[in-house]
Amino acid sequence: MNQSDALALDLKHMIIDTLELEDVTPDDIDEQAPLFGDGLGLDSIDALELGLALQKRYGVTLDAEAEDTRRHFASLAALKALVEERRVD
Amino acid sequence: MKQLRLSEWLGWAPSRDSQARNACLLPPEKPGSSVPSMLRRRLDTPGRATCDILSKLDPDARFPLVHASRHGDANFTLAMLKSLADSAPLSPTRFSMSVHNANLGVHAIANHHRRPLQALGASGNEFNALLWEAQGYLAEGYEAVVIVFSEGELPEDYSGLAPHPGSACAVGLRLSHDDGRALVPVTSRRCIAPTPLDVIDWLGGRVPILDAASAWRLEEA
Repeated sequence: MNQSDALALDLKHMIIDTLELEDVTPDDIDEQAPLFGDGLGLDSIDALELGLALQKRYGVTLDAEAEDTRRHFASLAALKALVEERRVD
Repeated sequence: MKQLRLSEWLGWAPSRDSQARNACLLPPEKPGSSVPSMLRRRLDTPGRATCDILSKLDPDARFPLVHASRHGDANFTLAMLKSLADSAPLSPTRFSMSVHNANLGVHAIANHHRRPLQALGASGNEFNALLWEAQGYLAEGYEAVVIVFSEGELPEDYSGLAPHPGSACAVGLRLSHDDGRALVPVTSRRCIAPTPLDVIDWLGGRVPILDAASAWRLEEA
């Protein structure tokens, strides 16, 4: 597994564990599908919870009011790109 | 004032052994089938049982719903207090669910319920408070009211410091003025703060009187 795939899997586990998604496995999360609304079905409280998890796990801080935050949360692929760009390890 | 009548009741009491069970107790394992999984994940186990009871006693979302809990979701509340004490950020999910009417809110979303909803805490007088609220809605002209009384697990830190039934439990009643056995007020022998388990024991016939600030017996069938 390359570094990018490993990060994608790590993010999937983070989403499932943090948001306590029942009966969802990493394989169920399509990297390109929307995380919110019609895709995985997450809501605004999940967005806040994910923002906190990203800060704790990767040191990535997001501004809830910023225009590009919505773009970063569009899909798992977008989230992965965000972490690759801004992670603080 | 017209007498309250018990049309139907349901309980959830995993701590009760199988011999003490009856047809009015829900299965102890995995409550929450009445709520879609994306909403269910935010409820603790007694919250899930509360929603199942509400759904079965008000399947068409027609009646006002009143929920009481003395301590609410004490485990999550304590976890948030500990986070604050450690200057750690609060979980947005836990914060959003920390209000006393959270269970009713989730149930209402899941079942498209648009009638009155009310959540109570009454320092041990929850059952009588539920009955008073039910009387109020019935006096307003509603055909029936569903009340649910529940308690979650008490955090270990509070053990011995707070009155509690000892285990998670919930009980719900559909009340009206014209259907079922009457709740008859009787002289209270001792003023206790009944828990949901006490109410289950009374409704299930294990004890004839529910002792409380105002005591009750059920009319003979």
